[in-house]
Amino acid sequence: MQAYVPGIYPRSEALVQSTRDLDRGRTTPEANDEQVERDLHELISVQQAAEVDLLADGMLRWQDLFRPLVEASAGLEPGPMTRFLDTNTFWFAPRQTGGAPKLEPVGERYIASLPGSRLVTLPSPWAFALSTELTPKEIAEGVLKPQIDALDAELVVLSEPFLAREERPDLGTLAEALEVLTGGPELAIQFTFGDAKNVLEAGAGDLPVQAVGIDFYSTHASDIPDGFGRKLLAGVIDARSSALEDPEEIAGFVAQLPVDDIALVPNGDLQFVPEQIARQKIQRLGAAKTAQAKEAVA
Amino acid sequence: MTEIRFETREIGSLAKPVWRVKSFAGRPLEDGDIAEAGRWGEKLGVDGHEDLVELLGKGNFGDGELAAIDDWSSLYGLRFLEESGLDVVYDGEQRRTEMYDHVSRHAKGFEQRGTVRSFNNKYYSKAAVVDQPSIDGPYDVDEYSFIAERTDKRVKIPFTGPYTMVDWSYDEHYHRTGALGATAEQRADARRRFLLDVAEHVIRPNAAAVVEAGCDWIQIDEPALTTRSDEVKFGVEAFNKSVEGIPSQRRSLHVCFSDYSLLYPHVLELDDCFELQLEFAQRDSRETGTSREERPGYEPLDHFKEHGGPDVGLGVLDIHSDFIETPELVRDRVIYAAELLGPERVHVNPDCGLRTRSWDVAFEKLRNMVEGTRLAEEALNRAHAGAR
Repeated sequence: MQAYVPGIYPRSEALVQSTRDLDRGRTTPEANDEQVERDLHELISVQQAAEVDLLADGMLRWQDLFRPLVEASAGLEPGPMTRFLDTNTFWFAPRQTGGAPKLEPVGERYIASLPGSRLVTLPSPWAFALSTELTPKEIAEGVLKPQIDALDAELVVLSEPFLAREERPDLGTLAEALEVLTGGPELAIQFTFGDAKNVLEAGAGDLPVQAVGIDFYSTHASDIPDGFGRKLLAGVIDARSSALEDPEEIAGFVAQLPVDDIALVPNGDLQFVPEQIARQKIQRLGAAKTAQAKEAVA
Repeated sequence: MTEIRFETREIGSLAKPVWRVKSFAGRPLEDGDIAEAGRWGEKLGVDGHEDLVELLGKGNFGDGELAAIDDWSSLYGLRFLEESGLDVVYDGEQRRTEMYDHVSRHAKGFEQRGTVRSFNNKYYSKAAVVDQPSIDGPYDVDEYSFIAERTDKRVKIPFTGPYTMVDWSYDEHYHRTGALGATAEQRADARRRFLLDVAEHVIRPNAAAVVEAGCDWIQIDEPALTTRSDEVKFGVEAFNKSVEGIPSQRRSLHVCFSDYSLLYPHVLELDDCFELQLEFAQRDSRETGTSREERPGYEPLDHFKEHGGPDVGLGVLDIHSDFIETPELVRDRVIYAAELLGPERVHVNPDCGLRTRSWDVAFEKLRNMVEGTRLAEEALNRAHAGAR
């Protein structure tokens, strides 16, 4: 049993104020950068205290799941402001401006180096391609593959917020794109914030990745098929709720899943709760891992 | 045939004057801030505005001075909308912090949880429901009474709707236990119970008291209504619960930045809803013209033509842009809608509240909206007279 915290982490109240001040010309970019570093340092401490197995940087400078990669890619630009799923938050849907996209990999400003083994979260090629005229494979080849090749990470979690909501999800085009990304770090595809029943029935367990992430606040445990052939990133912390989870309840829930190889994760980006709540959720994630280990021994 | 006349009105919020913002934040006022109070006081013909200028010049505001500034701000908002030429007025939510926060801080059962990012470096405060929501007493009556005593025009008061309150809140009460692995039916049931409680125990008693005080038009604001397509029916049910038994002459529903196709057929079940006030202008071309091709942003009106239902409060001003719509552009948007739906089903307003625009921009937009509406009336009346 492992535990990770992929995705975008919320900004502290201090960083919220700093970025507001930055927009209003009341502080400098350098001072704001220093606050980002303080937030990152704090996030690392919280993860270490919770004994997560791979550290994550919380993507503190990412304005949304796609923006830094879009801005670093020839042939792409941020498009119209679009509501993100059924939340009161918004993202700028990528838009194609030319031919095949070509990424100049983003550096440490957006993917921070960490004091230990790490995971990196990137958008799923299917989600990335959704608002463009490009195929997921073209996104994988032109944008995600160059970025993954430039990374030093144990695991790359590809965040997929949209595909699970399709009535008839096309896993074929996703699989084709994921094939392009193999050969480097281990890959996970995480179906965030949605009922994964349809993608599971369509064969998500056969995708060319090492791990598949499922939101168990939207997906029933019985929808995980017997013989599920991948590591399961079990979304057992609700990143859209301020209520704090009971580690014992999580441990009991996980024990009934028909999978042996499991990592506990939030069901999506923790940025949908305030930072002081997110850090408590990470603590409980770690406590749930410990509780599950005890239950397994007992 | 009677002469065509379109009613003009705002939707809700205006920006707050910098002298108000700084005074309440405890920040020092600069000379330019005070000069703004004088300039707008003169421009709007606010009686006694020199007293405000003198008050602002003193600084170090205690509770009494802040209450006076609160009143002045409301009066300026009211005069702003009157001088724009609108038929129906309000004070631009000058006394309210923000549409969600205003309710969650007045209602019992909510606790503030902190800040969440909306996009880029924009954030909003979010509360959690921790107990059945209720109110100790109405909280918008004083706002209404102050306005009503100072205008001869019709007043419309907006109320943040129950669906938006629920959708923008965390739930630590209705779906607190057993959330992990719960069925879709259990989640939906929890949302519906939360929704109906907000409608019945928060929105309705407050709106009823405002109507009791004399207001004859209540507007329920539901920007989140189509966020989850399978819950629009719950939102309609909650609207009906919110206005149930309230003897207002008019009740209306404002929705914006949404897929309006999701509203049907559910909005046909709204109880005695006079109109839906909707945003269209931000989707539309900025060129003049009254053909279907020239008014692409108004394509959703087809749903209203096909299904019938409430009248349309036609959004003709893009509230996210400093672009000043010309009277001719407004005219053509109104004519297009009137010819499609019939003029009796069309009324005119901005897409949404103008709080993100400066007063200079908002004033010019509203003046042009009224002038453009008059041009539309002239054109349509002329055409109908010629047809007789």
